[in-house]
Amino acid sequence: MLNRLKFLSTAIFVGMFGILGFTLVLASDPPPANDSGGSVSVRLYQVEGSLPADDPNSAQWASVPESEFKLAPQVHWKDRIQEVTVKSVKVKGLHDGQNLAILVEYEDPTDDPKDAAAVEFMVGDKKAHFAHGQPMLQVEGGPVNIWFWKKENGKALDMSAKGFKTLTTQEKQDVTATGAWEGGSWKVVFTRALKTEDEQDVQIEPGEWRSVAFAFWDGAVVDGLVKEKGSQKAVSSWWSIRAEPSADNSIFGWVIFGLLLAAGFEMVVVRKLRKGQSA
Amino acid sequence: MRGPIASGAILLAGMFIFLKFILPMVTAPLPASLIYLYLALTLSGIMIFGTMSASGLESLMGPIFRFLSGKGQSGVGQMARLAVLVLFPLLVGWQTYTRLAPSDLPPAENRTIHPAPPGEFVGLANPYQNNEANINMGKGLYAAYCSPCHGANYDGKGTAAPGFNPPPANFSDPGTIAQLQESYLFWRIKKGGVGLPVEGMPWKSAMPRWEEELSDEFIWKIIMGEYDGAHQSPRTWEEEE
Repeated sequence: MLNRLKFLSTAIFVGMFGILGFTLVLASDPPPANDSGGSVSVRLYQVEGSLPADDPNSAQWASVPESEFKLAPQVHWKDRIQEVTVKSVKVKGLHDGQNLAILVEYEDPTDDPKDAAAVEFMVGDKKAHFAHGQPMLQVEGGPVNIWFWKKENGKALDMSAKGFKTLTTQEKQDVTATGAWEGGSWKVVFTRALKTEDEQDVQIEPGEWRSVAFAFWDGAVVDGLVKEKGSQKAVSSWWSIRAEPSADNSIFGWVIFGLLLAAGFEMVVVRKLRKGQSA
Repeated sequence: MRGPIASGAILLAGMFIFLKFILPMVTAPLPASLIYLYLALTLSGIMIFGTMSASGLESLMGPIFRFLSGKGQSGVGQMARLAVLVLFPLLVGWQTYTRLAPSDLPPAENRTIHPAPPGEFVGLANPYQNNEANINMGKGLYAAYCSPCHGANYDGKGTAAPGFNPPPANFSDPGTIAQLQESYLFWRIKKGGVGLPVEGMPWKSAMPRWEEELSDEFIWKIIMGEYDGAHQSPRTWEEEE
C-alpha cells in the first residue's frame, strides 16, 4: 500500500537524485576565453613564506600558472604606430597576504636602455579608460595608477593619470621593480604592498576583482631614433586581476553537513519504505 | 513489457541528446543552466504523468520503492542499491563544494555592442553625394585611418586587431553596419570609444575620437567607402516599415 509520506519522500529523493545527476553530467559551461583566445584574468596565488620579490629568475616562479594577453599597437591617439615589437605578454602573480609580486615576461630581441614595461590599474570605484584614464563623454571616469619600469632607470616609478598629459610621478613611491633580459626576452617583476596609505594607489583586497592593463616599449635605436617611446607602445585592453583569498575551511564543514543531511534523509526514506512494505 | 520507469529514462536521455547535440546544429549551443532547467521540467512532467492514476502510481513508484527498500534483493540489484545510496550523499557534498568554492572567473560583463546614439546624431543624412569619386576618397581615407584595426578587407582583422577587447567591428558581417544608419556610424567615428554610454563600456574601447583629427566631410566619405567596400547598405527608415 502506498501512503502519502512514503510517496512524497521517495519522489523528493528521485527528483533530487535526478537534478544532482544532471548537474554532474552537465557540470558547467566552459570558462569564457577572450575573443583572441587568450586569458581573461590574472590570479595572484597566495604563498606561505617569502615572495620572489626582486628576482625575476627565481625558481619559485616556475610553478606558478601563467596568463597570456595579446598586445596591440597604441592606435587610440596621435603618435600612433601600426607595428610593435612586443606581441603578447605572459603574466604570473603571487601574494603573501601583505605584499604582491607580478611577473611580466615578453619577447624583445634586444636589451636596450630605453626598453620599458608598465602595469596599469583602475583606482577606486569609478571606471577609468584604459588609455591613461582619459575623460569619457557620457560616463564619469576615475584615475589610473601606473607602475612604470625602464631599463636605464633600474627602478619602478609609481605614477598616476587621469587624462592625456596628466601622467605624474607620485610623491609617495610604493612600487619596486627588477628586470632581467636573457635570450630575447624580458622578465620584469613588480612588487608592492597589497594595500597602501596612498589614495592615488590601487588597493588590492584579496578576493576582490580589479582591472589591469599592460604596456611595453621596445627601446631599440633604429636609424638614430628610439623605435618606441611615449605613446608609441604595445598595449593591452583591460583585463581582470584578483589576489587569491585565504583558504576558507568553513567550506569543508558545510560539505560534511551536506553529506550528513543527505545520508540522514536517505535513512528516513529507506525506513519509511521498509515499514510500508511490512505493513 | 516496457515499464514507465524505462520510458521515463529513455525520454530524459532523448531530451538530453536533443538539447545538447541536435539543437546546436541549428542554433547556438544552449547554456548548461538552460539544458538543466529543461531536463528538470521533463523529469517533473514524467513524475506528474506517471502518478495521475493509482495503477500508474504503482507501476512508476512500486519498483522504485522496492529497489530503495532493498528487501529480497541480491547480486546486481543489491550492488546497484548500495551504489545509489552511497552516490547520493556524495553528489550533495560535491554540489555543496562547487557552490561554495571561490570562482576564478571574473564577473561577467554584458556589453551592449550598439547602444543608442545621443539625440543629436539620430537621423542625420549624409550630405555628400554617393558617387564614385566620393566613395573612392572614402576608401582611401579608410585605408589610411581605419584599416589597421578594421582590416583592409573590412572584416575586423587588421594587423592591430588581435590585442583589443572588444575587438574591432567586422563591417562585412551583416550584424554590424548593415543594421545601422549612416548617422549612427557618423556618431561612432566622430566621438569614438569614449563617446559610448555606460552600457557600451567606453573604458574598454580603443576606437579613437576622430573628430580631433578628421573633418566631418572626411568622416561622411569614410562611411560611404566603408559600406561600399564591405558590400553592405545602410539601414534606412523605409526598410523598417
